[in-house]
Amino acid sequence: MAKKKNKQIIRPWCWYCEREFEDEKVLMQHQKAKHFKCKMCPRRLNTAGGLAVHIQQVHKLEPENLPRIENALPGRDGYEVEIFGMVGIPAPDVADYKRRKEIELGLSAGSISQPQAKRPKIENRPLTEEELKAQLEAHKALMGVGSTTETPAPAESSGAVYNAPPQTYAAPPTSLPPMPPPGVVSPPPGMPPPPGFFPGAPPPPGAFPGQPPPFPPLMPGFPPGPPPPGFPMPPGFPPGGPPPFPPVPPGGPAGPPGALPELRRLRPYLLHQLLLAGFMQTPPAPPAAAPAAPAQQPPSAPPSTAAPSKDQTPESQAPPTQLVLPNPALAQTNPPFKKTTVLKYEDPNFSPEEHRAIHPRYFFAKQNAAAEESRGRKRKKAEDFL
Amino acid sequence: MSTDEQNTLTLPDPPFDSISAVRYSPTNPDHLLVSSWDTSVRFYEVGEKGGKESEAKAKFDHRAPVLACCFSDGTHAFSGGLDTSVRELDLGTENMRNLGAHSDSISAMAYSRDANALITGSWDRTLRFWDPRAASAQQSSHETPERVYHLDLVNNTLVVAMASRLFNIYDIRNMNTPAQQRESSLKFMTRSLACMPTGEGYATASVEGRIAVEYFDPSPAAQEKKYAFKCHRQTIDDVDHVWPVNALAFHPIYNTFASAGSDATVSIWDHKVKKRLRQYQKFSNPISSLAFNCDGTTLAIAVSYTWDEGEAGLKTAERPSVIIRKLGDEIKPKGWTGS
Repeated sequence: MAKKKNKQIIRPWCWYCEREFEDEKVLMQHQKAKHFKCKMCPRRLNTAGGLAVHIQQVHKLEPENLPRIENALPGRDGYEVEIFGMVGIPAPDVADYKRRKEIELGLSAGSISQPQAKRPKIENRPLTEEELKAQLEAHKALMGVGSTTETPAPAESSGAVYNAPPQTYAAPPTSLPPMPPPGVVSPPPGMPPPPGFFPGAPPPPGAFPGQPPPFPPLMPGFPPGPPPPGFPMPPGFPPGGPPPFPPVPPGGPAGPPGALPELRRLRPYLLHQLLLAGFMQTPPAPPAAAPAAPAQQPPSAPPSTAAPSKDQTPESQAPPTQLVLPNPALAQTNPPFKKTTVLKYEDPNFSPEEHRAIHPRYFFAKQNAAAEESRGRKRKKAEDFL
Repeated sequence: MSTDEQNTLTLPDPPFDSISAVRYSPTNPDHLLVSSWDTSVRFYEVGEKGGKESEAKAKFDHRAPVLACCFSDGTHAFSGGLDTSVRELDLGTENMRNLGAHSDSISAMAYSRDANALITGSWDRTLRFWDPRAASAQQSSHETPERVYHLDLVNNTLVVAMASRLFNIYDIRNMNTPAQQRESSLKFMTRSLACMPTGEGYATASVEGRIAVEYFDPSPAAQEKKYAFKCHRQTIDDVDHVWPVNALAFHPIYNTFASAGSDATVSIWDHKVKKRLRQYQKFSNPISSLAFNCDGTTLAIAVSYTWDEGEAGLKTAERPSVIIRKLGDEIKPKGWTGS
């Protein structure tokens, strides 16, 4: 078990110049100093987007005339990708970097880029009938839950999709009751929520007595239990009642605009809390859009710079699950074989490349192409959240 | 086989993911472009066994997988792929320039030296002509009945292979209407296409291990010469296993051609006498692309997974490689005396 962990092999690295760093703090300092420094004044920004906005607003430069990011590798000197330390690096670049690292370190292919999940100790013996049955049941249960997420009923959207985009949990904004200023009447941490809180919804498992405070803010690492059900705005939410959550810590997720991409990775209920607190002005996507947004992002699409607003059009970002014939009249069918034959590629209507192109690993949202050509349009999106 | 080892060399720093195309320079027999699903186009200088080492000279990173590339002159090239943009690559400075875009992935391209034009084909069902020196690079766009899968060019004749087994043959001096519209003589999806350097016709192959040799001349006498034959298949226990023929390439001098398939083999054919001249020893993975260099002394072979089995096949696929094979007499038709 002397196998080195992933983290020890790959150190934090800068996407702009591919330099390695001891830890992410140093990396962020480096990025501020080397890549996000304004040329016209001593100001250092946190992200490329921040720098762009700074240059546009403070130095009144047109979006078209933005200087390229300094000290960056060719092709990485643009503002399209929002990088914050190691956050936001496009998936293909991560994969590419890891694979190069593998070669550099003389490791076998896939040892970093496709790390094997830690294998539990399994006795190498045939499974008994009972065990097989139990496994089948477990599998079925798992698959069953997976299919219900297609139509996210509020109460069901718990454990199976806990990393899913926020809108899965969000209710139409019209049902938002008026909120008192956060923090004014918030209960002291550790105190169980008042009775009558969340009528109609079962108490969040594991969130009640014995585990104060109920929702430790922004703790890395998830509690094993599913997020509390009933989050999508219980109908009987007591108007004017105490907010069920401690207020958002200052400097938390509502901080700099650069931190917005982070939001997608936050716990759903924290996001919800933000919604309640009115930090996110953008109305959440209607539930109907939720099934179209899979938990994983297409690899080539850079992490969205304005998470909430982009989420409203998930259809344009997510890879299509099926290919569509442009002219169904020309549809082909393979003729039958006289002899028993194994045809290694059987689809008569779409080439292997077309199938490959909609695989999440390769999919590229075509809209991006146009948007990235003119940086002006892209920047408009950044302004959405300012 | 030891001779196989002596005659082949493997390029250093190959792409990380499947190779979509290998293309040789029109002027330098050692310059090779390799486009890949790892979103790169790489430019290599091929060395010699025991002599000068092969070298990766440049790498161009794209935003999405690259499906097609080609040279224009010795120092410039073009690329296109899933991000729909047509790019001009400067091989000397490693600069990329965006010429414009299709509305869907670019699947094939060729450069016409006579017309000084880049021709691209896309799944958006258009062919577009580009002039990199013009202020607005896109010169024209021509609709096709189906998604363009492959295209090849000889002199002024452009052959376009599309989905639904359709073929259009154009004279590039008059792109308004296709000179000929054909349905493939093969019953399965067209998988590859290559024009004869003599300008008489072309060879095309399907996913069902079969190659057709066709002629441009529409006269019955010429059309009678066309034929098709089976290849890239194997009978195991009375069951025919049939692989797609992913690549075809004509030898620039001898007019023989090479075919490569998902069965990981490469064969050399003399289409005049309808004979196979050679089948090379099996490779480790399917072959996705082939190219002869301009003086016909070497054949570049791209060994990489071609998605025939979807994502599942990726797990067992090895890292792609580009193999350069030095050619001997096997490529010459029997009794070749020079033309």
